[in-house]
Order: sequence, then structure tokens, then C-alpha cells
Amino acid sequence: MAKWGMVIDLDKCVGCQACVVSCKEENNVPHGSPEEQRSRREIYWHKMIAATKGKYPYVRTELIPMPCMHCEHPPCVTVCPAKATFQRDDGIVVQYYRRCIGCKYCMVACPYGARSFNYKAQEPKAYQRQDEPPDRNSWAPWPFPVRTQGVVEKCTFCFHRIDQGLKEGKKIGTEVVPACVEACPSHARTFGDLDDPQSPVAQLLASRASFRLREELATRPKVIYLSR
Amino acid sequence: MERNYSTIEGTSRGYTVLVALLGGMVGVFIVSFLVAYLKGQQVWGVSNIIPWGQLITFYIFFIGLSAGAIIISSLSYVFKREIYEPIGRMAVFMGILLMVGAMSFVMVDLGRPEKAWRLFMYFYLNNMTSLFAINSIFYTGYITLMMIYLWLIFEGKKRLAAIVGTVDVLWAIAVHMGTGAIFGLIGNREIFFSPIKPFEFLTAALTSGTSLIILTAVVTFKLTRRVIQDELIFSLGRLLTGIILVLLVMVFFDKLTHLYFPNREATVYLLTGDYWWIFWIFQIGMGIVLPLILLIHPKTKKTLRGVVCAAASVVIGVFGERAALVIPGTAHPQPFFPGKIEGPWGEPGIFPITPWETLLSLSIVSFVALLFVLGLRYLEILPARTGEPLPAGTGPTTQPGSS
Repeated sequence: MAKWGMVIDLDKCVGCQACVVSCKEENNVPHGSPEEQRSRREIYWHKMIAATKGKYPYVRTELIPMPCMHCEHPPCVTVCPAKATFQRDDGIVVQYYRRCIGCKYCMVACPYGARSFNYKAQEPKAYQRQDEPPDRNSWAPWPFPVRTQGVVEKCTFCFHRIDQGLKEGKKIGTEVVPACVEACPSHARTFGDLDDPQSPVAQLLASRASFRLREELATRPKVIYLSR
Repeated sequence: MERNYSTIEGTSRGYTVLVALLGGMVGVFIVSFLVAYLKGQQVWGVSNIIPWGQLITFYIFFIGLSAGAIIISSLSYVFKREIYEPIGRMAVFMGILLMVGAMSFVMVDLGRPEKAWRLFMYFYLNNMTSLFAINSIFYTGYITLMMIYLWLIFEGKKRLAAIVGTVDVLWAIAVHMGTGAIFGLIGNREIFFSPIKPFEFLTAALTSGTSLIILTAVVTFKLTRRVIQDELIFSLGRLLTGIILVLLVMVFFDKLTHLYFPNREATVYLLTGDYWWIFWIFQIGMGIVLPLILLIHPKTKKTLRGVVCAAASVVIGVFGERAALVIPGTAHPQPFFPGKIEGPWGEPGIFPITPWETLLSLSIVSFVALLFVLGLRYLEILPARTGEPLPAGTGPTTQPGSS
């Protein structure tokens, strides 16, 4: 079984946030109102943070794109009481909305702030995927069957693309990639199988020094950064 | 000496007004729950930064009160201290009601409360590594045990009650330590993460439970014109002094552990950030310092008023302790990356007090109070008034209600 992972080269990242926008577009994530942004209730599957070091003449700002880290030892899966969030065989951590009871324990336990809660029901037209076939619309864990309030949601590594691509026999990582990887104008992102030494991600990792976020927590994220 | 218990008359004007008021709050409970359920939790103060708000604060507070009440009840039923007998039944009854309140709080806090049955599908549809799932075993067993305990007490089966009471006290300790573990085991939140948290929760439960029993006993006995021995309250006060001192030591070492080593940012935020007042004024000031002064000062510790004031202060202070854990614990932004995180992702969260959330909390508190007041009317909770002939309910005068 493959172990999907993503490598983000911070040296190539220009901070355009195309990944953030494309994620919202692909997964139909609601755009919050300014009021929701102020009160921190906007849903983000992928966010970008800016971390500053130093004082004025010698300031250095790092832009870090942060999707869900899809940890190898995800704390959210440990704490979820309803088995609503679980790890697939290929290592992707997914959220099954039909099971989620909305206790928000996973949001407290996530070290990367990757999870968002649905604080309201969305407008039917805009954010409920009417374009999906009816069977998927009502049963499948992705995309939102009907986007309901009161459940937690998060990045899926665009597993609908991966599953579809595998079914069609395409090469994952080159022909089929998650939306944020596809949208990146500077090719800072690479997606692929971390276990396969021939895959582009594994070769990139072998070539440069890399790090993961909050390594001291030993969650072993599968989103790995190449330092600047 | 066999002690007699009686119901209260419940025919006075004050009682009727109180029941009507609290009954009206049940209506508020239903409305405010439906508003949040239909409009979503956007009507509350919770956000993606502070996912747990007032309701979870009340939930752990009530579980603490319940565990404390049951442990105090054991003084009369397990350890057979005769002096505590008049409040024994009340303590067990309060234990049940407060637990019912706590469960109401946690149920309405869920985003999809209709799916909560999944929690109880042990090993099959739920995840037993989650502390919520483990605690659901503790909570259901706890409520069942308390019911049996109270029934045995009503039936007068003292030997059996002592056995069930012992199990129940141990179970209550497990319940509240499990609740502390919900927070104490979360390794990515510095303010939560602490091996001492379950023990701190237990100690805080004992202080707040004892205080609530002092308060309720004095108020109920006064309003129903029963005589309460001052010595009973003073001895509970002395007990309270001891537990508060233990709590102080625990809080001190918990914070010291987090402050000593350089990764102290979150704890410094707790002590000096936006929510410093919850910690310093409520948790330390009202929860520890003020009651200790009142209980140790030779003048106030010998007066009923002084002990009752200390008890009221502890109840509010321990509520502050819960709030100082839940809200600043998640409000502090997580250090995703070394350096100062700019923009919204690095800002500490703000928790606004919103009307619907506050109404919901207050109405659940009133709901518990209503059950208590009705319980006094229909169950033989309080000791019979001295000099009053049995059976109860034939008392000559009307009795005002209690809260």
C-alpha cells in the first residue's frame, strides 16, 4: 500500500496562496464573511501562516503553507470518540461527517489547527455539491453529502482525485495530484508515495535537508518541508 | 438514634413562586437549545480557536460538584460519622442531580446531539482510546450507582448502603479523575497537559462539592425552618480548609512545572494575558485566598456567616478555575512554527459572552435547581423538624420553599 505524502519546498514557495484558494475551489469550502473571519469561524482546509523572526533591519519572514499534516500518529484519531475521524490504509486521515457528533475534541487535540467546525448551515446553492451523482450525494464521506452544521471538517489530501486516478490506472504524483499541488505556480509542492524510493517525493527528501512541523510531539506528519 | 426524615409541605407562596420561576427557565432551556441547534453554534461564543466554551466549563464544574457531594455523603454512610447524618441524603440526592445537569451540558454542547448514541456502542461503533468514550462508561455507571445508593438509603438498608457507598465514592473519584484526564492528556496544549491535572480536578471537586453542600444545607435548612447544628457546618469548614490547602499546593506545582522551563509561553499567557483575571481574581482570589482567610481567621471561622461566605466564594472560585482551564487553554495560539506568527493565526482567541450561550447555561442550572426543589417536596430528603410529630406532611404551619 502506498503511503501518500507531500513535500513543500519553502525555497520555491512565493507565498501567492494559490494553494489556499484552489483548495477552497476544489472542495467547495465556504468562503466566510468578514464577520466570520473576525470571529474565527471561517472554514479553512488549507491555511498559510507567516512566521517572523528578528527586528526591523534584519527581519526574516517564513511563509508556511499548512494543509492537514496527515500525521502517521494522528492525535485527532486517538481522541475521536465516534470513530468519525480515522486513518485509511494509505495513511490519509479522513473525517466521516455522518459519524461526527460534533464534540470538537479533535480540534482541541490537533497540534496544527487543521480542523474547522461548521458553525452554521450553508446556503444550499453555494456549498452543497448538487453536481454530484445522487448516491454519492447522500452516502459518501466525501464530498459533503449535504454540508451540515455541527460537524468538524478538514483537508482530505483530495483523496477523491487519488481514488479516481487509481481506478483509471493513472500515475499518482505526476498525472494526478491534489488541487493545491496542481495550482502551485512555482512547483513548490510535490505529491507522491513516501514509501517508494523511486517516487519524486522520496528523491526530493533524499536530496535536501527537510523538517516537519512540531516534531517534538512525535506525530510524524506526512507533509514535509524543505527548508529555505 | 434513628433519625426521621420528611418531605417539605410545599404549599407556601414562596415555594410556588420559586417552582414557577424555575419552571419558566425550563422553557428558556428548550428555546435556547433549539436556537443553537437550528441556527448552529454561531450564536455562541465558540470559534475554531476556542472550540470549547461556557457549556464545557459548566460541564466539568458540575461533575466536580457531583463527585464532591458523593464523597461528602460517604462521611455519614460509609464512615458513620453521626454528625453528618442530617445532610447525608441531601448530598447523595445533589450528586445525582448535578450529574444530570453535567450530562445536559455536555449533550447540548455537541454539534449533532442526536448522534450521541454512538458513544455508547462500546468497542463496536465508538473508539475506546478516546477519553470521552471511556468516561461515558464511568458516567453511566456513576449515575446508576448513585440511584442504587439513594434507594438503599431510603429503604434504610444501612449495611448495603455502606457497601454501595464505598464503591460509589471510588467510582466518583474515577469519574472526576477521568474528566481531568480529558484535559491532562492533551499533549499539544501546554496549559492542559499535566499529569497532575486529574488530581487537581479531584481536589477542586472536593472543595467545590463541600462548599456547595455547606451553602445548600444552610439555605435549605433556614428556608424550611429546620435547625442545623452549627458544629456540622464548622466541621465541614475545617475539612474545607484542609482540602483548599491541598488544592493550593497542586495548583502551585502545576503552574511551577510549566513556568520553570523556557517553553513557558502559554502559561505566561494564562497568568498575564487577556484572561489573567479569571486566574488571579477567580481561581486564586476567590477559590483559594479569600476562603482560606475566612476559614483560618479566629473570628470568622467561628461564625456561620463566615463559613458560608467562604463556601460561596469557593463555589465561584472553582467555577473560575474551570474557566481558567477551558478558555485560556485553547485561546493561546499554538506554536506551529518557531518565530512570531503574524496575522490571525498567531493572535490569541477572544471568547465573547453571548446571550444564547449564557441563557442556555443559566437555564440548565435552573433546571437542576428545579429538580432539587421538587425533590424536597416529594422525597424524604431533609431531616424532620425537631418536635414535629410523624408522619411528615402533617406539620402545622406552611413552609416556605428552598433553593
